[in-house]
Amino acid sequence: MSIQVQNIYKQYASFKALAGVSLTIESGELVALLGPSGSGKTTLLRIIAGLESPDQGSIQLHGEESTELNAAQRGIGFVFQHYALFRHMTIFENVAFGLRVQSRGLRPSRSDIRARVKELLSLVQLDSYSGMFPEQLSGGQRQRVALARALAVRPKVLLLDEPFSALDAKVRKDLRNWLRRIHDEMHVTTVLVTHDQEEALEVADRVAILNRGKLEQVGTPQAIYDHPASPFVYNFLGNVNLFHGRLLADLSPQPQDHGASEMESSAIGFVRPHEFEVTRELPENQRAVLAMVRRIHAAGPQVRLDLELSGSKNPVAVEISQPRHKELQLTEGEKVFVRPQAIRLFEASEANEQILEQGAGI
Amino acid sequence: MSQSSNLHTRCSHPLSPGIRVGRALLIVLALASVALFLVLPLVTVFLQAFAHGWQAYSHAVRQAEVLAALRLTALVVIVAVPLNVLFGIAASWAITRFDFRGRNLLITLIDIPLAVSPVVAGMMYVEVFGRNGWLGAWLSDHNLHIIYAVPGIVLATMFVTFPFVARELIPFMEAQGADEEEAAVVLGARGFSVFWRVSLPNIKWALLYGTILAAARSVGEFGAVSVVSGHIRGRTTTLPLQVEMFYNEYNFTAAFAAASLLSLAAVFTLVVKKVIEVSSGIHRQRTEEENRA
Repeated sequence: MSIQVQNIYKQYASFKALAGVSLTIESGELVALLGPSGSGKTTLLRIIAGLESPDQGSIQLHGEESTELNAAQRGIGFVFQHYALFRHMTIFENVAFGLRVQSRGLRPSRSDIRARVKELLSLVQLDSYSGMFPEQLSGGQRQRVALARALAVRPKVLLLDEPFSALDAKVRKDLRNWLRRIHDEMHVTTVLVTHDQEEALEVADRVAILNRGKLEQVGTPQAIYDHPASPFVYNFLGNVNLFHGRLLADLSPQPQDHGASEMESSAIGFVRPHEFEVTRELPENQRAVLAMVRRIHAAGPQVRLDLELSGSKNPVAVEISQPRHKELQLTEGEKVFVRPQAIRLFEASEANEQILEQGAGI
Repeated sequence: MSQSSNLHTRCSHPLSPGIRVGRALLIVLALASVALFLVLPLVTVFLQAFAHGWQAYSHAVRQAEVLAALRLTALVVIVAVPLNVLFGIAASWAITRFDFRGRNLLITLIDIPLAVSPVVAGMMYVEVFGRNGWLGAWLSDHNLHIIYAVPGIVLATMFVTFPFVARELIPFMEAQGADEEEAAVVLGARGFSVFWRVSLPNIKWALLYGTILAAARSVGEFGAVSVVSGHIRGRTTTLPLQVEMFYNEYNFTAAFAAASLLSLAAVFTLVVKKVIEVSSGIHRQRTEEENRA
């Protein structure tokens, strides 16, 4: 079932949660709503669910106007951040709840309910827990029960509100992959709210990035990672070095059409840690910046260097491969040359973007 | 409902002699005051009640006036408490689940009965419902008697016990949040079904606790009821009023016999309260574990 969100506005007292958000989610798609806290992502999810009503705008489910439908009528599954399991009911009763409260005509028979709950509990690999109470389960198990409970009523849309944020890193990763598998098996349209960029990029078909109640960018994980539309998106996707400076014409590899004075404007530049080249000698015919190695973090697939650029107090994070690290044999306190291989510039004022691939300086 | 949760935070590490003496003194002082001001008077009530033997006691509690007072007190509790439970649930639900204009005003208003002296409460009711009150003329035209009659006693009792249930439920429901109810709604449950299957089981201990407190206060309320009752023997005299009447008539055996019934009711309340605390205490511990996990 497709979801169409059209021009949604929502205000709480003096806080503007959503300021004109439009988004179309195709049937069977898994879309992540990504943003920092206060960006409006949870509000948008709750409006899609019918748990909140928008001040303006409309929601269409499967092409049908649904803004006025209440949550019970929308046929959706919702998974809460803190599980929201019914604490006085067993795991079995929790999963059966949605079936038991259906109106008499629609309600499955007792044996059908039993079969359906068993099927779901085995899907979430909790068969032997059906007689236990939520408090006897771990966080990860509880969230799986919550998912089984949401799926019991065969929803056409599954909405998840930061479902894994209360879990520890290992469990979070497992559940994330497992959610993707379930999504692929059931072909249920899924919207996942998260503030974890890694989670969003890894799991979703498309990512919608929200900031201060507005959509910053919507696209596939790759498109968003490779071509962030704004400084905010670049920054939010994490692990970037931010440089403030003035944009000078002579830094670009090919001379531009316009004059130097025109180019001389305030700008911010982003370089990802792995986009630096580190050398001991100044490369020929290339620009590079002298820097001191502050710290070396060699544990992990990549080696991270904390560098301090000469003439700047700003620390710069650089990642090099393990083989490259072995080759260089760097020690802390040593001086090296760094050269960004790619830098993405945004005009500080309007965030107009300019990409200067290759050979840009700082 | 919060005493027992602090128990595990008390000191158990080694203490210096000075602190140990100070601690012993405080414990003795606390126990002595409890014995002197609470236990001794309670024991005296029973000693006085049985001063002339079991026969006299049994005769005293079985006289018509006492039985009538007992019946009236029971009637007041049976009417006033359920109404206050309904009100308490409605108010707590509104306050913790909805954000509306006047929400803070409602929270403040609920506490009025705790701030106002019960005698003043009684007088307010006389002013409104009495013969010369605002509604007096209309009420007597329709042959309705509220003041100096049972309805007035019920109203006065309700006023005094108004906040008990709501004050127990509001912080509890606030802490629990609306997540489970929202989950139920999304799963297709409708209003009453959500309340019956999800909300009520979650608040049952807090609700029972508030109800017990309201019932205890309803049984023992004196001031407000005294003003509106008119003290008509056998008709508008509740048990506490009957105790005072006997006492003023120097009928000490009867006064203390009736008083012993009230005391028994109080002891019973304490036992039930303790049971609820223990049961809900287990529940609270579980909730804490859940929050930690």
